[in-house]
Amino acid sequence: MSSISAIVKEKIGGRRGLADYSLVFIVLFLLSFGLVMLYSTSSYESMAQHGDAAYYLKRQMIFTLLGLALMVFVSLIPYTFWKRISLLAYAVSLGLILLIIPFGMEVNGAKRWLKIPILPIQLQPAEVAKIGVIVFSAMFIEKLGRKALSTVRGFILPMIPAVVVGVMLWKITDNLSSAIIVVAIVFGMLFVACPDYGKFILIAVVVLVVAAALVWYTVNSADTNSLDFRGERVLAWLDPQAYAGGKGYQTIQALYAIGSGGIFGKGLGQSMQKLGFIPEAQNDMIFSIICEELGLFGAISIMLMFVLLLWRFMMIANSADDFYGAMLVVGVISHIAVQVILNIAVVTNTIPNTGVTLPFISYGGSSVFFLLSEIGIVLSVSRGMQREELARLEES
Amino acid sequence: MSKRVVKGKNTRGGLKRFTISMQRKLVVLCGLVLLAFVGLGIKLFLINRDNGQAYTMQVLSQQAYENQTIPYKRGKIMDCKGTVLADSQLVYNVIVDSKQILEKDAYLEPTLDALESLGINRGRIREYITNHPSSQYYIALKNLSYQDRKAYLDKVEAGIKMEKEKKVAPADRKYDNIKGIWFESGYSRIYPHSDLACHVIGFSGSGNVGTGGLEEYYNETLNGVVGRRYGYLDESLSMEQTMIEPKDGNNLVLTLDANIQSIVQKYLKKHDDEYDNFDHPGNGSNHAACIVMDVHSGEILAMAGTPFFDLNQPSDLAALEGMPKLDANDEPMDSYLTYTDLLVMSDEDKPRYLNALWSNFCVSQYFEPGSTAKPFTVATGLETGTVDKDETFYCNGYKYIDGFEIKCHNREGDGLLTVGQAVERSCNVSLMEMAMSEGKENFTKFQNVFNFGLRTGIDLADEARTDSFVSDSTMTDSMLATNAFGQNFDATMIQMAAGFCSLINGGYYYEPHVVKKITSPSGTTLRTIEPRVLKKTVSEETSELIREYTVQVVEGRYGTGETARPAGYRIGGKTGTAETLPRGNDEYIVSFMGYAPAEDPQILVYVVIDRANFENQDDATFATVVVRSIMQEVLPYLNIYMSEPVTDEERAELEELGLAVTYTGDESPDKWEKQTW
Repeated sequence: MSSISAIVKEKIGGRRGLADYSLVFIVLFLLSFGLVMLYSTSSYESMAQHGDAAYYLKRQMIFTLLGLALMVFVSLIPYTFWKRISLLAYAVSLGLILLIIPFGMEVNGAKRWLKIPILPIQLQPAEVAKIGVIVFSAMFIEKLGRKALSTVRGFILPMIPAVVVGVMLWKITDNLSSAIIVVAIVFGMLFVACPDYGKFILIAVVVLVVAAALVWYTVNSADTNSLDFRGERVLAWLDPQAYAGGKGYQTIQALYAIGSGGIFGKGLGQSMQKLGFIPEAQNDMIFSIICEELGLFGAISIMLMFVLLLWRFMMIANSADDFYGAMLVVGVISHIAVQVILNIAVVTNTIPNTGVTLPFISYGGSSVFFLLSEIGIVLSVSRGMQREELARLEES
Repeated sequence: MSKRVVKGKNTRGGLKRFTISMQRKLVVLCGLVLLAFVGLGIKLFLINRDNGQAYTMQVLSQQAYENQTIPYKRGKIMDCKGTVLADSQLVYNVIVDSKQILEKDAYLEPTLDALESLGINRGRIREYITNHPSSQYYIALKNLSYQDRKAYLDKVEAGIKMEKEKKVAPADRKYDNIKGIWFESGYSRIYPHSDLACHVIGFSGSGNVGTGGLEEYYNETLNGVVGRRYGYLDESLSMEQTMIEPKDGNNLVLTLDANIQSIVQKYLKKHDDEYDNFDHPGNGSNHAACIVMDVHSGEILAMAGTPFFDLNQPSDLAALEGMPKLDANDEPMDSYLTYTDLLVMSDEDKPRYLNALWSNFCVSQYFEPGSTAKPFTVATGLETGTVDKDETFYCNGYKYIDGFEIKCHNREGDGLLTVGQAVERSCNVSLMEMAMSEGKENFTKFQNVFNFGLRTGIDLADEARTDSFVSDSTMTDSMLATNAFGQNFDATMIQMAAGFCSLINGGYYYEPHVVKKITSPSGTTLRTIEPRVLKKTVSEETSELIREYTVQVVEGRYGTGETARPAGYRIGGKTGTAETLPRGNDEYIVSFMGYAPAEDPQILVYVVIDRANFENQDDATFATVVVRSIMQEVLPYLNIYMSEPVTDEERAELEELGLAVTYTGDESPDKWEKQTW
């Protein structure tokens, strides 16, 4: 640390530095823990399918390292840069989703991936869209101004771009969970930005009522054959035992894993459910294996790590230099919080099964890569407008 | 917490500051998130509390504990020189997993190609896979050899490597798309010499259960203990894998000599071929059997009986052709199985005939021994003092007993005979006279001493026990008279051979045995079976007389066994001719009990011909010529040198057989000159 930044640090109460180390530490901890759990969870299936127990681990490590490099790089870019290219970021997000239509790769019956030419990797446009929407909405909300935000129009206008992306993700990539996450991110940002509570409580109540009505409709549907797979998932959610051989299989096996873990679990690497009972456990269901191997203690420890992460985010947002920076961080908070909650809710069968990954821990290259770039943005916000302020300080 | 808000200027229409109220709302948002986390944490706790036990059980019950047996190797059977007669070879079963094969369309054809290359019918296996799409364990082929499996695996491995190098598209890969084939190891029993000593060895099929002979008698010794690979849960409920190595079975080393055995089988076969379809369609005889035994230890050197069968294919019906048809009581009839009979044989009949084929005539079947029993009758008289060696008997051709006229072979009568002459000429009347002098009590007592009717204790499966001799109280005079020359009581070949050995070796009754040693899989000796004297039957004096008399059977002027004498040797023996039941069918079992050398008996060769395929069956020559041929080859093999000069005719015969003249005496100088050495 240079002497000048030491002076800066002293003057502005220790907030500024090269990076928010406690945040970096929490992220590195989650990543390392994720890799250990990923290896434990995937090695059996990996060996069976790829003849290499570390197949998934190796791939994830490459993306993690690339993501960390990206994080450092992004953290060095002043976050105001994102404001300037926010419209472009949004356009790129839409463009990538549209590219799915002609060039999408079909995996497990859904077109969600774009094949990157030459490189042996695939990109999930949904992950790009999440950043795009955060960057764009922060700018949009800032531009609207405080007055507009207290009106209904001020709420609806910023929601439109998010809903557009959501609908596209849902209809083009058949990925309802990503659509929900994108909309929820902007909803969270607006909740913070708008001064009132009324319309948010109203919307929450409406969403709950509509969801309850849909569930009621599904359950009372005369002909269960007419239901699509989401309808069946709802039925499986309500009574996973009855659908244990089909749609409820993954859920019930995950519950078995959680229930058999006990307080301290079976020990790292000792899961039985990962031995072919929970298919692709390293993806959405990794939390159930954590519960089985490390027990309630391990599971709650991980949730506490996420709480710590969100607390650090909150601190950074609240001490951000400006509204735009704070909004970026709020977007990232919403994103990570929604994914963690949805993931754990699915694993514990609190909500119907929908594919959401656990940030930093689940297997998925695009997911970890773009999450780390989001962390980079947050770090950039935490560093603040260092150079400009330095100049000001030197002037004075 | 020190909060520092950098104050920005509020531009018109836009926001610059993240206000205190926004900060509060962010705290609220984070509070809501925390609340959700707490809710989910409670849910986790509830799942564990309410369903923990049930789910733990469920997880455990879902575990398919790998519990796999690992086969052991069944022990070998070797002859006295170490020649392997029965062995177990590592082989593989080809297992097909339909589910895996049907996972992708690209798998099926390459996998079918691979299965076809392993020798599996393509159409049939395709049908199985399509009809049983969820089957994961189907034995498509058994007993694939180690070499064939290795060749297959090497080919596939090379193919996959080549495809990777040439970057063949995944869907077009011929080798890489072979799925759902795996191999399960096991052992298969092989008999390198197919029908050699087939009845002695017996056979063992899948499941390592021996049928007949040594395989059955020593089943437990030959079998090992299966190994096991299994998973179990330890006290902390984690899966542990354990393997218990299999323990291979022990080996048998026999007293049997494969060379002697093959000589014996050669001549039995020769006899069989000679009379095959001769008088009627069918084999040369119902049975042509032989036991070669060490006189001084009871060790079996060879044992065989026609018809033979291939131990590698014991159920091959082809071996049944020419065997007599069986009546409802499994007794042989006068008609014989033809090739067409085999084709239409019912499933009920097949096991009956196969059991007859597999039955060891030498130990499992009994018959009236005929005149080979005469030396026993004589020995009984000499031993009990009821017959004096200098006594004479008069034969006028028949004797009336109990109102029956019991004839001698020589209807004209043999005249006045000494004991030795009675044996030499096989005179029934003299023997009846002797038995009468002995009395029923002595006679039956010695039948027991000679072990007739009882098991000898030979270590082979299914030894027959006949119990045909009667006590002195129930015995009639005619029974005593006919028993004296070996009719009206049953004995097995092994009973006769073991008893006869004791008559000529000084009275030592050895328990006959086939196994000399039991060795561990690594070859160390676990147990040696020493010759075991069961009893003393007769005195050395009696034994010497019997030897004297039986040598006269071969060498005497009126001897019945002259044709048994091999060139260059002096041997002793006794012929036997017994009419089978029912009497009057002109069906006979003829035999010759020979031993050599005459002065110091070493080996006993007993040949029985059961109903030769010839018009006049009552001719012991059928048996004597076989004994002669066997001895001619076996004696030099056992390093027993000739003691007699050979005639020119015999010399020519020996040369034809490739046998050397080992006579070194000088009794016949004219023959000396012709020696070439």
